[in-house]
Amino acid sequence: MRHLSRRRLFMGAGAAAGAGALAACGGVGGGGGDSASNLRYAFWGNNVRQENYQEAFDLMAEGNEDLALKVEFAEYSAFQERMTTQMAAGNVSDIFWIPSAQVMTYYSNGLYRPLDGVESLDLSDYADADIQDFLLDGEHNTMPFGVFVPVIRYNATFVEEDGVDWPESWDWDAFAEFAKEYTAESEDRWGVAYAADADLPFEGWLRQRGEQLWSEGGRIGYTQEGLESWIAWWEDLREAGATPTIGEQDGVGASWEDVGDRCLAWFSNSNHIVDDATMFPDFEFALSHLPVDPSASDGHQFLYFPRQAIYAEASDANAELAGEVFNFTTGDVEMLKVVGLTMGAPVNPRVAEEYVEFASPAETAMLEVVSEDREADRSPRFEAPPGSSTWRTVMTRTLEEVTTGSSTISEAAAAMIEEINQGIDRAASGEEDA
Amino acid sequence: MTAALRAKERPPGSPSVGPSPPRRRGRRSQGLAAHAFMSPWLIGLVLVTAAPMLASLYLSFTDYNIMSTPTFVGFDNFERMVGDERFWASTRVTSLYVLVSVPLQLVFALMLALVLDRGLRGLSIYRSAYYLPSLLGTSVAVAVLWKQIFGHDGLVNQALALIGIQGTNWLQNPDSALWTLIILNVWTFGSPMVIFLAGLRQIPEELYEAARVDGASQIRMFRHITIPLLTPIVFFNLILQTIGSFQAFTQAHVISGGTGGPVDSTLFYTLYIYQQAFVNFDMGYASALAWVLLLAIAVITALHFTLSKYWVFYGD
Repeated sequence: MRHLSRRRLFMGAGAAAGAGALAACGGVGGGGGDSASNLRYAFWGNNVRQENYQEAFDLMAEGNEDLALKVEFAEYSAFQERMTTQMAAGNVSDIFWIPSAQVMTYYSNGLYRPLDGVESLDLSDYADADIQDFLLDGEHNTMPFGVFVPVIRYNATFVEEDGVDWPESWDWDAFAEFAKEYTAESEDRWGVAYAADADLPFEGWLRQRGEQLWSEGGRIGYTQEGLESWIAWWEDLREAGATPTIGEQDGVGASWEDVGDRCLAWFSNSNHIVDDATMFPDFEFALSHLPVDPSASDGHQFLYFPRQAIYAEASDANAELAGEVFNFTTGDVEMLKVVGLTMGAPVNPRVAEEYVEFASPAETAMLEVVSEDREADRSPRFEAPPGSSTWRTVMTRTLEEVTTGSSTISEAAAAMIEEINQGIDRAASGEEDA
Repeated sequence: MTAALRAKERPPGSPSVGPSPPRRRGRRSQGLAAHAFMSPWLIGLVLVTAAPMLASLYLSFTDYNIMSTPTFVGFDNFERMVGDERFWASTRVTSLYVLVSVPLQLVFALMLALVLDRGLRGLSIYRSAYYLPSLLGTSVAVAVLWKQIFGHDGLVNQALALIGIQGTNWLQNPDSALWTLIILNVWTFGSPMVIFLAGLRQIPEELYEAARVDGASQIRMFRHITIPLLTPIVFFNLILQTIGSFQAFTQAHVISGGTGGPVDSTLFYTLYIYQQAFVNFDMGYASALAWVLLLAIAVITALHFTLSKYWVFYGD
């Protein structure tokens, strides 16, 4: 046997370590690599979504080998953590989904590559008005890939079983009275789940009163009175027993798993029906629009777009490939046939029409309600400004204080607005310093 | 003739000339080997621990949102804590958690160790079974399990219902949420228990025999032999568990969904650091918070060591 000297041992170990380090660097890859196989796509969701998207991307790669994606997937919170560290390291994926509260934060930090120069991106299916809806601060730098609207989801099986008359439309007071009566007459069902933390319905409430969630100038777009009225409407329902208790529904954000099969109505986003309906297959679910205030201002309807973007530091070659990925994810019905509509109605109007014949009953309900809001006149809406990314957490805490009696509605609303404003001010001062 | 003998024969103060003696060469190569074997740890210490700590120290004096260049702001981040209600809320929550859960856990662990030290049949099985929660205790799975136990329709309320008591959702009640996490921490008593058990085995049996001959009762033997000789172990466990409890994070993160709710009742200090760093993107403030925690742990640990001379008995 050949003798291995200590010197040789160390040299060998050093070489192995160096090779390992180099291999590791190569494996991780940079955000701006030129090779097609380095095109990275980051998104969030559950395991089912991951498997479906992977299957769809495999399908895409069959048609174009250059579009083989390296998928970076995580649950929503973990996704944001990873994005944070990747941003700090300048190593963001070429294509990434944008968490709703971070849209303008990422924008203000230059994370998006303008899409105007991406020649491969095909926008021929969109009207000018559609494109206008996509712009952020006048720039086309993100690509929506779905549409959500605020809705009341209701259990159509309960409606039939209990002989309830579910109207085409109603105002908020009428709905509240209906929910109270339904609960009173039902033995083990509630009229509605407590959902004062539901962001899109809250935004709908504000817009019907001539207010906004966020202003064009990047500030809070509503008054303390507007916020108080929303919380008070829900408190009235909760105190009347028309909703489960906070304990029964496991927090101010109701747990669908815990009480979804015992609530007639549920305020939420239109897309949630797709996943949630699968949890209770014995029931049929349907969607209707939010109640409408009699004095609601015109254009109160709005669309929320989940967005994806190309990283600003992506190479030109990868940006062009990313444009083709956008075409597939938003403009090819084959993609949606695999992944379904968990991320909302198709943003591409042509694809929305093509998909109708493949839609499940829940998806059909969603497509109809989104289509109606899409056809309505809509006043502009604005995204959450930098520094406001925690607003939903702050709102949850505000509602916890109200529902536990720690604060009055007025005190809690004032504190919530102050805390959100502090975050926006801090981000603004940081930008000025930078 | 060996190198050592040659060195002895050399007149004092005479210069060392010529080739290095073989022994010195051997020592040098041994030193190199030692350094080579230590190098992975040293590299890890510098790159993964020391450098990030220094970077964090620098960032604690800056306004840094991760994406832009850090701006030096002096002690602004530290001054901000004074008026930050959530900083004080997280400090209160963490302090209560440490003050209650650490002594409870140590008492529980010691009691179980005393029982297991009585020479039970199948001791290794019991030891493994009791240690199991320590392996799982801070994992996501157990935090989810806790939700099933203390939730509205959880096991605790089902048990209470059997005796006619309607329970609350213990995790959604600001008055009880933290206590469920304290119970979770106490439940992970396996690690200190094993250490206590090892300590109990080190106490000489002759001391107990002599005490028995003198007619000492079990309680007196426990008080005058077991406890004094076990104090170094208690001290060791106390330090470890105190530091670990100050760093508790996973349970509160999973159970509260990362919010520290309800109404900040489970807002552990580390959770607040996490929120500032990864949700608010306020890495400068988060770094300052982290350094305050480090200093607090250092001061409390130093205090433990200072006070230990009054109650820890090393037998020398």
